[in-house]
Amino acid sequence: MSAYSVVGKSVPRVDLPAKATGELVYVHDVRVPGMLHGRVVRPPYAGVDAGPFVGTSLIAVDEASVHDIPGLVAVVRIGDFIGVVAEREENAIKAAAQLKVSWKPGPDLTDLSDIEQALRASPSTPRQLIDKGDVDAAIKAAAKPMQRTYIWPYQMHGSIGPSCAVADYGEDAIRVWSGTQNPHILRGDLALLIQRPESEIDVIRMEAAGCYGRNCADDVTADALLLSRAVGRPVRVQLTREQEHAWEPKGTAQLMDVNGGLNADGSVAGYDFATRYPSNGAPTLALLLTGRIAPEAAVFEMGDRTAIPPYDYENMRVIANDMPPIVRASWFRGVSALPNTFAHESYIDELAAEAEVDPIEYRLRYLKDKRAIDLVNAVAERAGWTPRPIRQEPEAEGDIVRGRGFAYALYVHSKFPGYGAAWSAWIADVAVNKATGDVSVTRVVAGQDSGLMINPDGVRHQIEGNVIQSTSRALMEEVSFERGAVAAREWGAYPIIKFPELPKIDVLMLPRQDQPPLGVGESASVPSAAAIANAIYDATGVRFRELPFTPERILKGLHGEQPAAPASLAPPVQPADLNRWQNPLAKRGGMLAGIAALFAAAIGIGAAALPWRAIAPIARPDASVYSAATIARGKELAALGACAVCHTSEHGVANAGGRPLETPFGTIYTTNITPDVDTGIGAWSYPAFERAMREGIHRDGRHLYPAFPYTHFARTSDADLQALYAYLMAQAPVRAATPANALAFPFNLRPLLAGWNALFHQPQIFQPDPSKSATWNRGAYLIEGLGHCSACHSPRNALGAERQAAYLAGGFAEGWEAPALTSLSKAPVPWSEDELYAYLRTGESRLHGVAAGPMAPVVRELAALPDQDIRAMAVYLASFNTPVDRSAHDALAARLETTTTATTAASAAPASTKAPVRSAMRSAARRCSAAGRRWR
Amino acid sequence: MRLTVNGRNHDVDAAPDTALLYVLRNDLALNGPKYGCGLGECGACAVLIDGVAARACVIPIEGCAGRSIVTLEGLGTREHPDPVQDAFIREQAAQCGYCLNGMIITTKALLTRNPSPSEHEVLEALRYNLCRCGAHIEIIRAAMRAAGHALEARD
Repeated sequence: MSAYSVVGKSVPRVDLPAKATGELVYVHDVRVPGMLHGRVVRPPYAGVDAGPFVGTSLIAVDEASVHDIPGLVAVVRIGDFIGVVAEREENAIKAAAQLKVSWKPGPDLTDLSDIEQALRASPSTPRQLIDKGDVDAAIKAAAKPMQRTYIWPYQMHGSIGPSCAVADYGEDAIRVWSGTQNPHILRGDLALLIQRPESEIDVIRMEAAGCYGRNCADDVTADALLLSRAVGRPVRVQLTREQEHAWEPKGTAQLMDVNGGLNADGSVAGYDFATRYPSNGAPTLALLLTGRIAPEAAVFEMGDRTAIPPYDYENMRVIANDMPPIVRASWFRGVSALPNTFAHESYIDELAAEAEVDPIEYRLRYLKDKRAIDLVNAVAERAGWTPRPIRQEPEAEGDIVRGRGFAYALYVHSKFPGYGAAWSAWIADVAVNKATGDVSVTRVVAGQDSGLMINPDGVRHQIEGNVIQSTSRALMEEVSFERGAVAAREWGAYPIIKFPELPKIDVLMLPRQDQPPLGVGESASVPSAAAIANAIYDATGVRFRELPFTPERILKGLHGEQPAAPASLAPPVQPADLNRWQNPLAKRGGMLAGIAALFAAAIGIGAAALPWRAIAPIARPDASVYSAATIARGKELAALGACAVCHTSEHGVANAGGRPLETPFGTIYTTNITPDVDTGIGAWSYPAFERAMREGIHRDGRHLYPAFPYTHFARTSDADLQALYAYLMAQAPVRAATPANALAFPFNLRPLLAGWNALFHQPQIFQPDPSKSATWNRGAYLIEGLGHCSACHSPRNALGAERQAAYLAGGFAEGWEAPALTSLSKAPVPWSEDELYAYLRTGESRLHGVAAGPMAPVVRELAALPDQDIRAMAVYLASFNTPVDRSAHDALAARLETTTTATTAASAAPASTKAPVRSAMRSAARRCSAAGRRWR
Repeated sequence: MRLTVNGRNHDVDAAPDTALLYVLRNDLALNGPKYGCGLGECGACAVLIDGVAARACVIPIEGCAGRSIVTLEGLGTREHPDPVQDAFIREQAAQCGYCLNGMIITTKALLTRNPSPSEHEVLEALRYNLCRCGAHIEIIRAAMRAAGHALEARD
């Protein structure tokens, strides 16, 4: 031990100073003299790399379609491989986007809208890994048979930097700069691709963005080599975000069936485990697209990692069903061990619950590995685990219930039977919002026995990274597919965890410096999903056996049609039918057209934020299906939202749109929201309407401009949105096309808007604050939601989003100053609840003047709202101000009256002399309006 | 088109609608701002424009004329790092480091407008910067260190 002088001590990384100051580090930074820029155009069978259509689907490339691109050097076509090369990168981007390519009609790809069904239907070969005791007899004799199915979705490695490479093909030297993880294998592939001996190819390995298994690093290297060979100059190829998302070899979906049960004494009767893992090594894409290798999916035997549970069950059988990939897939951190452990560790938790034994104590009965036992005990102690033999209903805090869960794993990797990396155990604490379905992982105690730690700080980083990444995978990650092709092509459609969602992490590293060092890169991911699922069970009493634990899945489990609690004494049934959510709400391809999408869109940004995903038009709905009361409620809500104020042009028909809104970014014309089928919203289904209201996406899939305050409307309840829809559909249709917007660059760019949403929009339904009164909460709901007050009354940042830190602190609307509604108000007299009520109800406050400018029609519309709603709005707004009593108010007003009379008299601007205080207020508004635009 | 980058003027021969990122990387040979998504979603390309963190992948150069652009290189060097860069190095606040540029630039912009942010304000400021490795804990510590907060020692 003491012989080491460096090993075992935390040492700072040598690479970080260069990375933190922008030195040349990554393959993305390589610049070679004379280098050109290339982009590739990928086939429409996005993310599928096996089948007769691969490499054979291209019909034609119209080179004339890009002849106007400046500095275009070449369009390259080999089989289904297409690339463009230009002198400048932005022109290569333009050429790739503009190139007209015709493809054969799309092949029939495997439908992945139901992962379980797809995996069961896919051909496989069973491989028995262990058969111990007499499993069939043991299960037959079990007092409580328990048959369960666990499902893991397709997930992305999700490198933050899409893959990039530079190639320089010369007759005397062939050189590539690559971020590959497998330079030797890559070199063999490149040699095969260009039919040259390996010895002629130099692979210069550079750093790239983290890839956690496989990304497109090898693919892009081959792409660059083909383009460099075609033009005889060095070429740099950068894949787009869309291409990386679509074509990276996914972490595969996986299906785990467990049959087993309990004996009468609570012991495990038998454990019959079968796993289905459709993945392989994802051959380099250019080899397939150019037809150099046949597009036949190979079978890799990699579903067996930690397939044998770590527990010494007396009767146990484990089968790995080896199968070829369905979509392009490859290993992803934890590989099959993570899904397999999700099943093992969920199932033993279910056994413990049925046996009414503390889940840790139950595991320890079957755990024979001394170091595993030590780790489990250490983690339990660190987390302050209290035995919980019988689940107690937690005390709810409002809609929030809390729970904690445990899971343990020894990550077994490499060719079966393989060997173990570090031991890992988790205790996860969760908070579940039963009203919204949101799950928050609040704390994770992650313990690990890594053997000798060479650089303990590096081990800690790996544990933390695993905890954060795998928490993200468990809570929110699932690739969506459209007719079998990958549909998630940007971060909006495949969200990953963000800073405010992080759990607190307590890392426990067991001191084992006298033991051989073990791999630490993956182990701490492996218990994640089961620990979180077990914690959710502890909080809610409901078992979730399919990832990710999205709000819609949780709500479905808590309130859905399917009974979610395990039917412990029920006789065994076929695995295909058991514990499987009938899952119309999942964010999967093709679902949005259905009414089921209503709830999915209501809850998460998810796949619904795909800008190219249109919701099919419908025949204009018959408004007679809605009750008169619903339509009347919708009318009030339309008034609160003041829809007509913006959606009606000067002297125009109500709601027919066409009003120009001047924004700092240019002119936006409001749209026609009458139910005209061609020019209005007559062809909009309710899901399309709701998506627009909550996420700012037009029925045809375009992003709406954020002048439309969907960031506020997203907070409105379903019932209110439905009433509003009913009201709008019950109005007379008006044919009126909307003028084209005239926006300043860059705000006329759709991509900027997609980004805008990701940056600033949180589509969440309003949550009442239990510490405030019902009236306050009602006011908050109205103001924050349809009322969208802060859309005008908060300053906007450089990108046009409301600055959260400056909420209601004053902003600009159409050149008028929208005064601050909080104590930052410049008004000499603070606004009180009564004054706010008077102003909103009557349009006039005795101390603050009349509602003028853009506020006047807002107050006119508010006349449709009942008094109690206006009062609630006043209560809510007044709560942002320092309370003042009425006499102090009046005294301050009187004092100001004497001092401001002279000022206004001297002013050249016309002003009411009858109400000097009021005119003082207005003069401030005038000063601003003089510089701004008049209300039109 | 004339751009002011890291205190120096550069005449750039590129179309006005070219995204700033490509000019910075290809014409000016800067490595700090990274291509991550091209949609302004991930933050890897962040630069300071007049002191505000902006996403160079969606900002056309014509919007940048007459403005001061500062990249990671303009903050400091290995020998003389900016206090924010120094804090990130000391806290070992990266794994692969591809998002590091955006984290440092965003933290720099935060500290410019709010010199002593709370941890909550740090989390909110970094909300739209994506990190896939899970280096978040060290990134938060680095931002807090740069803001002058005392940090708990790590065991």
